[in-house]
Amino acid sequence: MITHSADIVIVGSGITAALMAASLAEKTTKSILVVEAGKPTTPFADRVKARERWRAYGESPWKQDHLDDQNATGNTWGFSPSMNVGGLAMHWGGVSPRYSPEDFTLRSMYGVGSDWPFSYDDLDPFYQEAEERMGVAGEQGPVSLDPRGKPYPLPPLPINYNLAQLQQWATKVGIATWSTPSAKNSVQHDGRAQCQRCDTCYPICPTGAKYSPDFTWDALVARKRITLVTETLVRKLEADPKTGRITRATGNRTNALGEEVTIEGGTFVLAAGFVWSPHLLLLSKSRVFPNGLANRSGLVGKYLAGHRNVNAYLRLPMELFPGINVQHSLVSKQFMRVPRSSRYLRHDLRIWESSVGREPRLRGDDGSIQFGDALMEDWQQRAKGATARVRGYYDVLPDKESALSLSAEKTNRFGDPMPNVSFRDAPESAALKEWQEEQLRDLFRMMAKAGGGEILRMENSANDLGQEHPVGGCRMGTDPTQSVVDAHGRAHDHENLWVAGAPAQPTASCCNGTLTFVAVGLRTAAAIAGAAG
Amino acid sequence: MTTRRSFLKTAGALSAGVATVGTVATACAVKDPTASNATGQGNDAERVRGFDRVLLDAVATAVLPASLGVPAIRTATDAFVAWADGYEPVAEEMHGYGYADVRYLPADPSPAWRAQLMALDLLAHRHGTNGFSTLPLAKQQELLGAVLRDQRGDRLPAPLGATHIAVALLAQWSSGPDAWDRALGARVAPGVCRTLADATHKPLPVTPTKTATVRTEPHA
Repeated sequence: MITHSADIVIVGSGITAALMAASLAEKTTKSILVVEAGKPTTPFADRVKARERWRAYGESPWKQDHLDDQNATGNTWGFSPSMNVGGLAMHWGGVSPRYSPEDFTLRSMYGVGSDWPFSYDDLDPFYQEAEERMGVAGEQGPVSLDPRGKPYPLPPLPINYNLAQLQQWATKVGIATWSTPSAKNSVQHDGRAQCQRCDTCYPICPTGAKYSPDFTWDALVARKRITLVTETLVRKLEADPKTGRITRATGNRTNALGEEVTIEGGTFVLAAGFVWSPHLLLLSKSRVFPNGLANRSGLVGKYLAGHRNVNAYLRLPMELFPGINVQHSLVSKQFMRVPRSSRYLRHDLRIWESSVGREPRLRGDDGSIQFGDALMEDWQQRAKGATARVRGYYDVLPDKESALSLSAEKTNRFGDPMPNVSFRDAPESAALKEWQEEQLRDLFRMMAKAGGGEILRMENSANDLGQEHPVGGCRMGTDPTQSVVDAHGRAHDHENLWVAGAPAQPTASCCNGTLTFVAVGLRTAAAIAGAAG
Repeated sequence: MTTRRSFLKTAGALSAGVATVGTVATACAVKDPTASNATGQGNDAERVRGFDRVLLDAVATAVLPASLGVPAIRTATDAFVAWADGYEPVAEEMHGYGYADVRYLPADPSPAWRAQLMALDLLAHRHGTNGFSTLPLAKQQELLGAVLRDQRGDRLPAPLGATHIAVALLAQWSSGPDAWDRALGARVAPGVCRTLADATHKPLPVTPTKTATVRTEPHA
């Protein structure tokens, strides 16, 4: 039996956990133990080579980044099996927009979905803290669309030549756009390099210009400010039957020996994402807590939320050179700040350069096979002009039964049932879906026409795969019968148990979510530090 | 414990081995078809690498743009061989956004590609010539066109997905930054790490180069 103990025990080592640990390490003198089921993955020194092999063959650049028997089933689009130090954010794209103020007041403003138990203004300082800790490069859009208390910590990634042409087009169409905020160094920052637009932010940045949680863990471990315990799977939390306080976590090593592990702590923080956080609570059932921990409301695992998208490729009468910086884009929040209307639709808008329709091909217009200079000349003709990619995420309001449950069929090596994920739209959202998607297609048609271009193709998210940037499973609220944790992430049922980041969120907005997951986690960290005294 | 991952890796390796033995009658007898010491006594478990370079050069000359020039075609062919030799069958694919299961890259395509090179040679013999590499360029292209008649034409596949070595060679070359720059007529260098500041400028035009003399007669 292996035993550990600490004042604060954090389960999970992804991006929310890393930045919460950094915050707690500064705001308290308490001992901090971080427990991760996986191992460290590809070290920084190996990432240039790993990138080359990914580009050459599609080989995963992240070695030993998952456990074969620890995975989810069901509608898992947006979920990653990553189980390693740093979690999924070792291979995220670094895109870091904030939600808009409306996201926090959907019920009040639009009569749909749920209000959050706090406002955008309440989260603003934690957004700022998240941006500063990660090093987000950005420019503020028009204040009416993109309010913020302080400037971005880093100057924006430049609007490159291609994006400048596309921005002129968007402006002509009446859409305000700006450089997408990104956790990528526009200048040298925090001991990491300036971005060199290698264009493989997802899945791997070879230079360290993109923030990933390993940088934070390395710094915290070097300063001996935390203890990082790897290859240790927490399988159960135990609570005092009388007080409800969490007394310890138990589990096993995930190495070949599989030794039993006990972790004692004063405060327990679940920062293991929208799947593994509610999963652990459901696994932790006992005679006194037959539905699992923190589950008096019966809502652990419920209200999983995310968003879907409509995507389009447009041919435009301008000259672009695909490859200048493919992963960087323009963004607009114009359609996230919409007035109350008879039908509900909010979406973001991103615009990228694209090479679609401009690639080489084996057959010419007459259908015959072409080789050599004939192929090259055909390619040069096709490469002229411009293709833009546009995409809008629209938010999907979750049904209560959009849920994670314990699988009856699949177990891990220890016999624990694995999670099954099933997303479901709330009836009000399901009723709007076709109309919402047609509105987005109409917008793209209008954009193409106004720019003198044409639609090459349009596509929707596949309905049966799941949703993107998912959240939920331990939703926050003020009413213990309608939520799992309070407005700061503290479990209603257990005063020393906190759930951090994505799983605590009631909704997922209509833009990339990581920055908000972290900001919500940092708000929780501040509350934990305050409670710790 | 045999995990799904280890099972698939084993299965993939076996599949690649079967392909080597089953589709390339002579390749199973050599470690490196281009090596002078190939004796036919190689270890079956050892991967066969390389291609019949004379045949491969002939295919490259037939399918790559002559305007590249002989040295660049040679370089592109070398790069293709290095790329094929460096492939690790059944390595893990990138997972991430999109699916939860762990997926694996396919078996080594090179055995089938080697067999296709030999088939081109056999086909040339059927047409009463001494071999594919000795045919005039137009005839080589005609034969390749016939062999590739069922290939999808609207775009080239990813090199690993190519079902014929001629398409694999084209696809691997055209995925590189030099090929894209040539197509765009500009120095963009897609996928190459570059300074951030330059991104705001219109890319400079590709400097015209003197076209090298390209062989149009068959190999001696």
